[in-house]
Amino acid sequence: MTLTADKQEVRSYLLGVLDADRKTQLEEQILSTPQTYEELLLVEEELIDQYVAGGLSEHERQQFETHFLITAERQKNLRFGQLLKRYVNSNLGAAAIPHVETSAPAKKSLTFSTLPAAGRPVMVFGVAGIVLLSVALLCWLGYRRPQSRLAQPRVEPVVVVTLAPAAAPRVNVPPKGYDLKLELELANPSFRNYNSELFRENKSVQTRGELRMEPKGEQYIVPVTITGEVLSPGDYELKLSGVSESGANEFIEKYSFRVIE
Amino acid sequence: MNKDWELSQEAFDALLDWLDSDREQAALKYEKIRRSLIKIFTGRGCVEPEDLADETINRVTSKLKEIGKEFSGDRTRYFFGVANKVHLEHLRRKLPQPTPPPTNDPDWIELEYSCLERCIERLSKEHRELLLRYHGAEGPAETEHRRALAAELGIAPNALRIRVYRIRMGLKECVEKCIERSLG
Repeated sequence: MTLTADKQEVRSYLLGVLDADRKTQLEEQILSTPQTYEELLLVEEELIDQYVAGGLSEHERQQFETHFLITAERQKNLRFGQLLKRYVNSNLGAAAIPHVETSAPAKKSLTFSTLPAAGRPVMVFGVAGIVLLSVALLCWLGYRRPQSRLAQPRVEPVVVVTLAPAAAPRVNVPPKGYDLKLELELANPSFRNYNSELFRENKSVQTRGELRMEPKGEQYIVPVTITGEVLSPGDYELKLSGVSESGANEFIEKYSFRVIE
Repeated sequence: MNKDWELSQEAFDALLDWLDSDREQAALKYEKIRRSLIKIFTGRGCVEPEDLADETINRVTSKLKEIGKEFSGDRTRYFFGVANKVHLEHLRRKLPQPTPPPTNDPDWIELEYSCLERCIERLSKEHRELLLRYHGAEGPAETEHRRALAAELGIAPNALRIRVYRIRMGLKECVEKCIERSLG
């Protein structure tokens, strides 16, 4: 069996969706094979990271909340995953510039004494001048094009949840400093612009305008970002309307979700 | 099994002898079996997996006089069989589900975060950068990003997963200790 298959199987096991026969076999492996036990630990953390990043499918998310997250230990691990993500989001730029040091011996650095002209005054100043000019040029290029130094993709502090009109999923209160990005699935993508209004128990909480639909897989979605601070445990309803050519609002769909602690 | 039966030092020693004649190896095997049983009971949806793992071990230990010398075969499998029985009994008992601990106290969250920052500062430069870079991409780009990082380090992607996991576990332990110290 390949490593990838193992990983997928362990993932299904952790989410409680592995078939009974295979589950028994895997449990025996957990007891008898150190590699399987280790894989279980790794996939546990990866599932937590994917949940925190909003990267699980709707079904996986439900299984994660109802099956995976049952013990106090795993709830603690989830808390840690949320903290770590917050830290990574705040510090990603700082890690993007330097490379990870490997165990390979470091390259000998170019010092003044190693320059070929060391010991010959005229040539020394000439070479030193070239080095200084090169450093200045590199600094200038770095200043002119700061984006090119950032090899890492930036991760926004948002929790992403996909919402279908008929579903009413549960959503955790986003960690402090995070927003909630709702991806509203569209049955009929017929408008260019969209507006949304979020209600908490029939009271308007936040409105968003000038929203654009985007393709996602084989369907279209309208992304709406809700400020994390406005969300507290309770039932929410989001009304989506399309803006017609004349500028009038036409109600399209209602999306529901419940925010839980 | 008598539910009042408790694991005495003598019984525990007998269990270790049964697991391995080398005491250090036996202790390692015991720890591994207990940790694995906890994961198995958790996977079966039990909210107090540690109690069930201990009950399984106690039950195996209490039967050692009957099975001890004649037993041949994989001893970890014997634990698995007993764990299945313990689980069935647990399902019949239908214990109430404990409520999850409170998690949204802003002061608590800030305490946790400041501890995390302190612990990350204590990591070596290489570990700190590795942790940040490993978690620096998510979604479809994640796999390729981590593969490239592993190649840069000259290790296999799975070795990278394990390396980051160990850094992360050390960090988690540091945060837990920091919180304990902060609470006095």
